[in-house]
Amino acid sequence: MATQENNDDRIALLQGTLDLLILKTLVLGACHGQGVARSIQRQSEDVFLVDHGSLYVALQRLEDKKWISAKWGISENNRKARFYSLTPKGREQLVEKASEWRRLTRAMGLILDSSGGLQGEEA
Amino acid sequence: MFRRKRSAEDFAEEIKAHLELEADQLEGEGLNGDEARRMARCEFGNAGAARERFYLKDRWVSLDRLLRDVRFGMRSLRQSPGFAATAILTLALGIGANTAVFSVMNAVLLRSLPVSDPDRLVYLRTSNPPRGTGTIDSTQTFSYAVYEALRKQGGGLSPVMAFVPLSGSKVAVRYGAQPEEAEGDMVSGTFFSGLGVNLPLGRGFTEEDETRHAPLAVLSYNYWTRRFARDPEVLGKTLYVNGVAMSVVGVAAEGFEGVEGSGSTDFWIPLQSRRELNAWGNPPEDGKLYDSNPTWWCLRMIGRLAPGLTRAQAAAQMQPVFQRSAYVGLGSPMEGEKAPVLSLVDAKSFPGYDMQYGSPLRMLMAMVGLVLLIALANVVMLLMARNAARQREFSLRQALGAGRGELLRQLLTEGLILVTAGGVLAWGFAEMATRVLGRWAQIETSLAPDRTVLLFTLAVLVIAGILFGLAPLRLALAGGAELALKTSAATSNVDAGKSRAGRVIVALQMALCVVLLVGGGLLVRTMRNLENTPLGLRVDGLVVFGVKPNIPSVPEGIAFYRNLMDKLRVLPGAESVTVSEERLGSGWSDNSDMRVDGKLPEVANGASRTVRSNVAGPEFFRTLGVPVLAGRDFSDSDTATSPHVGIINEQFAQRFLPNQSPLGHTIGTDDGRYTMTIVGVVKDHKYRSIDEEPIPMAWYMYAQIPMAGPMHVEMRVKGEPLAILPSARKAVQELDPNLPLIRPMTQREQFDTTISQHVLFARLAGFFGFLAVALVATGLYGMLAYRVSMRTAEIGVRMAVGARRGQVVWMILKDSLLLTAVGVVMGVPLSMLVGRALASSLYGVKPLDSVSYLLAVAGVAVVAVVASAVPAGRAASVDPMRALRTE
Repeated sequence: MATQENNDDRIALLQGTLDLLILKTLVLGACHGQGVARSIQRQSEDVFLVDHGSLYVALQRLEDKKWISAKWGISENNRKARFYSLTPKGREQLVEKASEWRRLTRAMGLILDSSGGLQGEEA
Repeated sequence: MFRRKRSAEDFAEEIKAHLELEADQLEGEGLNGDEARRMARCEFGNAGAARERFYLKDRWVSLDRLLRDVRFGMRSLRQSPGFAATAILTLALGIGANTAVFSVMNAVLLRSLPVSDPDRLVYLRTSNPPRGTGTIDSTQTFSYAVYEALRKQGGGLSPVMAFVPLSGSKVAVRYGAQPEEAEGDMVSGTFFSGLGVNLPLGRGFTEEDETRHAPLAVLSYNYWTRRFARDPEVLGKTLYVNGVAMSVVGVAAEGFEGVEGSGSTDFWIPLQSRRELNAWGNPPEDGKLYDSNPTWWCLRMIGRLAPGLTRAQAAAQMQPVFQRSAYVGLGSPMEGEKAPVLSLVDAKSFPGYDMQYGSPLRMLMAMVGLVLLIALANVVMLLMARNAARQREFSLRQALGAGRGELLRQLLTEGLILVTAGGVLAWGFAEMATRVLGRWAQIETSLAPDRTVLLFTLAVLVIAGILFGLAPLRLALAGGAELALKTSAATSNVDAGKSRAGRVIVALQMALCVVLLVGGGLLVRTMRNLENTPLGLRVDGLVVFGVKPNIPSVPEGIAFYRNLMDKLRVLPGAESVTVSEERLGSGWSDNSDMRVDGKLPEVANGASRTVRSNVAGPEFFRTLGVPVLAGRDFSDSDTATSPHVGIINEQFAQRFLPNQSPLGHTIGTDDGRYTMTIVGVVKDHKYRSIDEEPIPMAWYMYAQIPMAGPMHVEMRVKGEPLAILPSARKAVQELDPNLPLIRPMTQREQFDTTISQHVLFARLAGFFGFLAVALVATGLYGMLAYRVSMRTAEIGVRMAVGARRGQVVWMILKDSLLLTAVGVVMGVPLSMLVGRALASSLYGVKPLDSVSYLLAVAGVAVVAVVASAVPAGRAASVDPMRALRTE
């Protein structure tokens, strides 16, 4: 994209991880889309780049799956906003996805840390 | 179907809310209002894309896109209706012609018999018949004795089925009062069960029906429809076949029209054993019918391979039985005689069709294939021209962000629209053309297109669609996004205008066009030659029909025809009347050796001794209008009791009685049992067909030879020949109410049937040649007109700096003449190959006929010049100032 600068050291989100991050963010309580985006960015210490367009599409996808529910409300600074909250089904999914992710990162770690592997990282 | 929980507006609202929230927050972090809003939008990225993704979510995306592309394609095609119409029509003609010829080929050559498991069916063939036998076909027909033996102890086939027609053409039948004719076969009792033919109504035959020669009949579906209007009450009704009552017991499945190759069978009866129903309608030979005559090999056989056996294994199992039974009633084989060998051939497809229609159909298929190539090339060229002219549109769209994928999709869609429209038209066109083809070629099998034809057409359409999408893509992408912004129309189009691909295509089309024109020309000249061949007799005013009286004895037969001729001669309009055993122009002839002056004649240099003979009535040659060169015609005074007389033609005299007067010499059958004195010599004339060479002929007098069977009546009448038929029919039925007139027609029509296939083939070839020329002309015209329009600016410049009109015209003409020359150089050698392949279908023309070649080359050149003249003229009238100002 033309608007993106090349020296940005933020990492684009892996496919499927966005869902997990949204669920995790919403576990703390209902939140609107902009809040979710900010929260992910802040909590990842600005490493993750959240494409806002993708975020809203993902939110819609999760809503369609009935993992989260949404309703229009008023934000703390008196703006109209659509608030999302976790459903019981969403909570189950969060537990499941989180453990899946941990297994994945552990496996990745095992491979990357093993001796005699690659000398450096090549993209 | 696309029920949405949430509207797109609601989603857009949410994005707006997000931007406001973000801006608020940024403002809180210290940015001013405008800066914050701008930053929020930047952070968000492409909001439009997000909305689009929301919109497309859950939708059947590809269909939605396709619909949009189709709408867009339609719009852009509607902007150039001339192009769209030309392309669609070209496709419809090209594909329609292919579909039509293919569906005939499919029905005639490729389709299986409509029976169960046709792959296991085989025809029985013999390498040769034993010595001393007469056959219908020397490799395909067998004696009844062989059938009996193979059926009872064949082993390899179960069952073995025999079938034989009741007549060489049609047989007299009567249902109710009106006598008529139909094609009927006698078949084994196992015929329907063995072939696995369904009977939607009634039943088939049983083996018991065969053994007791039961008087039963099964109708074909077609005949049942045509004659009985699908009346289910027909079961149990009586059908008189040659006057013998047969009770209808069943109707065979739709589409099953028997296993006779030449036509469709109307009805079947079990094998009979009675004089009226002898095989092929022949009179008994020495009192023997087909089932007791070991020297007459007249039955065809078909069988089903026993489970687990291959054709070779089954043939090997049956060989000993066959070779023994072949000599039943013939004595033992002579020393050194080659024993007949049984073989089995595939019976999956319709018999005989391949021989009859195979090579013309394959040739036609090749021709329409070439036409299709030309048509496709034309449309590709049109598309290329059109897309080159749209280069700036494509560049602009790329510059505005359209991906290559999107451009490709759009081009494919436009191709798809053209192909769909062309395909629909083509199908309609093909349906019509197939019906016409079937009628002209007198193919009685149903030619209705089936799934194979549909698949074939779809395959052609798909190929065409892909071709049309891909061919122009290279050109469209070559421009790239920058082109639109940098250059003017005049320069951006120059490269495309000189596209080499276009020139190659035009040259190739020219070459194909030459080939088609040469092929068409050769065949049309063949047709002209055939139509203008002098027959050697006066056919105008001659009408012919067959009669097949039920006559028990020779004297009664002679009397019958004597009576008949007397009755016919006095009809108003009748000039003269005669009879003959074989009909002229029917393609049949009776060939044998003959004795001359008591011995088989010596012939020089191994020339053939074969004589063609016929049995004729009084005033035969006067009626036909054949000049008698010496002696006299047959007359009423030649009777059974007067001396036997015969008449010969010039060829006979020259070959067997050279340098002397043939009159007074005696000639006779090769067994010496019948002799006659030559009383006349007649001029050579066409006998069996129009495209034959004359061979020696002899005529017997009907009243003097010991046979009485069906004859053909020839009548010379004043005025319209066919107008005499009703009164002739009445005269015949006064003698026997069961007798129909068999195949009544004018003698001209009868002769024309022998060249009908040549004529049909030539007409079609001429038509396709013409179609090719028309297509090439439109292609060339389009191509040149387009190139000229692309070069308008260039021409303007040339004229501005002093080029004259003539020079501009020549520049354009030179170009197309060059292409024509290249096309001709490629086309002529190709045509020679085609000419050689056609050689067997030609008559009176050599495959290297210079006239055809010259005409073809001239034709192509004229097309090229005419198609170039208009664009060239337009180029020359370009106003330099306007041309330069085009941009």
